[in-house]
Amino acid sequence: MKRVLISLGAALVVGSAVFSVTAESKTAKTAADDPNNANLTYWYWAESDAPGANNWLKKQVALYEKAHPKVKISIVLQSTDTLTSAFTTVVQTKSGPDIATQWATLPSLTPAWAGATVPISDYVPASETKNWISTSENMWQGKLWAMPQYLIGIPFVWNKTLFKKAGLNPNVAPKTWADFLADAKKLKAAGITPFGMGNKDGYGGAWFFSLIGKQNLNSINELKDAMIGKQDFANPKFSGFYQTLADLKKSGYLNSDVASITFGQGFQLFGQKKVAMSWGTDGNVAQWEKQVGAKNMGIAAIPIWGNGKLATSYDVTQSSDAFITKWSKHPRAAAQFLTFLHSPQALKAWYKSTGVFPADKRFSASVVTDPIAKQMLKLDQSPVSVWPENFVPPQVDQNADLAGGEMITSGSGSPADVVKLWKSQLSQWKSQHPDEFRSYQKWATGH
Amino acid sequence: MLWPYLYAAPAVGAMAFAFGFPLVQVVRDSFYAGSFDSPIWVGLDNYRGVLADPAFRESLLNNMKLLLTVPVMLGLGLAIALVLNDRIRGGRHYQAIVFLPYVLPATAIGIAFSFVLQENGVLNTALRKAHLGVLAQDWLGNSHLAIGSVGALVVWQQLGFAVVVFTAALLALPPETAEAARIDGAGWWQLQLRVLVPQIRPIIELLTVIQVITVISWVFNYVYVLTSGGPGYSSSVMELYIWRSFSNGSNGTAASVAVMLLGMAGVLIGLSLWVRRQAIAG
Repeated sequence: MKRVLISLGAALVVGSAVFSVTAESKTAKTAADDPNNANLTYWYWAESDAPGANNWLKKQVALYEKAHPKVKISIVLQSTDTLTSAFTTVVQTKSGPDIATQWATLPSLTPAWAGATVPISDYVPASETKNWISTSENMWQGKLWAMPQYLIGIPFVWNKTLFKKAGLNPNVAPKTWADFLADAKKLKAAGITPFGMGNKDGYGGAWFFSLIGKQNLNSINELKDAMIGKQDFANPKFSGFYQTLADLKKSGYLNSDVASITFGQGFQLFGQKKVAMSWGTDGNVAQWEKQVGAKNMGIAAIPIWGNGKLATSYDVTQSSDAFITKWSKHPRAAAQFLTFLHSPQALKAWYKSTGVFPADKRFSASVVTDPIAKQMLKLDQSPVSVWPENFVPPQVDQNADLAGGEMITSGSGSPADVVKLWKSQLSQWKSQHPDEFRSYQKWATGH
Repeated sequence: MLWPYLYAAPAVGAMAFAFGFPLVQVVRDSFYAGSFDSPIWVGLDNYRGVLADPAFRESLLNNMKLLLTVPVMLGLGLAIALVLNDRIRGGRHYQAIVFLPYVLPATAIGIAFSFVLQENGVLNTALRKAHLGVLAQDWLGNSHLAIGSVGALVVWQQLGFAVVVFTAALLALPPETAEAARIDGAGWWQLQLRVLVPQIRPIIELLTVIQVITVISWVFNYVYVLTSGGPGYSSSVMELYIWRSFSNGSNGTAASVAVMLLGMAGVLIGLSLWVRRQAIAG
């Protein structure tokens, strides 16, 4: 009897222990998934696109943490030149932030192909995501992989005062490339630097690719075909714009320090009234408006250079986006916070802080009263919009797109050299990332 | 007889784990493509791909070009140390001034110099104001000058280290030899070149090896901050090539270049040891 009692007692103790461990484990799991109880790390980037973005996020985090006392969000600001590479490294180790930022389309989809992210549409209801704009940029296998926060249009800008000084009509923007060159010639003759940009880090050249280079294409699928070798990048249809960039440099229509100042430093030239024409994000334009004055500047679509169907498309993209990582222990908490960033007050605060339009249909256009901002909003709502750089594999973008533009603006390589570089980098990408290449092929062909 | 090995075993084990394991892993990775979790055996393809890549060849060539900074750095360092060794007035202050760049972080220096060396930066503005505009160049944006600008920065920063090492070596020499040479009528140049410099030859050799290794495998900071390897690949170096490959997820490529770099550094170290032995034997 004693033995039986001891056995029963032991069984009870063991059973209780097992039960308590299981219960604790279940509680822990629930706690781990609790959207209102989590420590989140967010790798954030947007300031370069939208000056004021960092402050906005800081304030939103403070508001969110106040409303959710058990949620702690650590913001780790990312730099432009390491945005893609830092996350690529993280993908290798499968550990890192809960939420990360990338540029849209390939930089966001390649981590998804590598199994490093989860579809945000699995955590945010369709009733919410249906309000987000530009979601098509990050769709794969019928799911949405990243959340857009804002829209970035890239308008052409000109300084009316400098145009007047050069004897040009200050109220007329160059509509075609011939107009642009004619204006540039007159500006140069008047001792004014016609066009300003920075390309030490290659982004100036990459923008030229996206804004001018796309204009000979009829659809972005043609570029996808060139990436997977179904079309030849050497065809002037894809690479002819490099000659145009080289001609601009040779004619002295670009600022003399284009090759030695960074992309960001190049943006400052227009605000400092040192160049007559430039292009920039909606956020840059909002800043320039404060420096140059709304009356002294004009904005328009990029002059038409090519003859493809995309020549008249406007360049607007969600630019960067936010996604949840596969290794995050708090995907629901992350999704809830990201949804909060689309709440009416957050959208309003975003626009107030940055002057950039939120990527959300609920944002009321009536808030936009500034005449230049109204023009930008109208341009951003153009029916066809595309940002070709988003469709270039990140490795090729860095090693060919950025480096190739640098070669042209520094005069260290001819357009033919750059085409050679593109072809060699496309070939390397195929051999070094066979999995990614296959995924791209499937994605490009709609499978 | 076994005991000594047993005593050494923990240290050997720790060393093997800390150095041997990563080394073996890097060599192994150099034969694979794809990501770490799904590697694909490609044999020597990474090496072939790298050797066929013009960007790699340019990076390797730039490392070789940067080797030219070593004799410049050591020559200048030795000259300054010899002058300072003459107990000139304010010598210690000069030494401190020359050494100052060495203690500054390479990244801070790189950022500061990126502003100084721009086409419309501090240097060119000063040259133009001094009516020497003909000398103003696009130091960072010109592909022919970019690597030279990096080299100049490396010399500027590393010079202080050379001066301090040579000065310390000269101070450690017994004064009697120099005194005897002076009594025998040796002039200043003879004293420096025939008496003092030969006595610090081992230090010169050691510093040469250190600086060669520095230039081959420790210039990433300067290049990354000053030019990012551009324009194009005109100032890229092997370290930057490794970093770019790794950050693109091309682990196998990065590993294969790392193995080559290791091999080059190994050959240089072996060569220096051989030279050293020859000098001692001679």
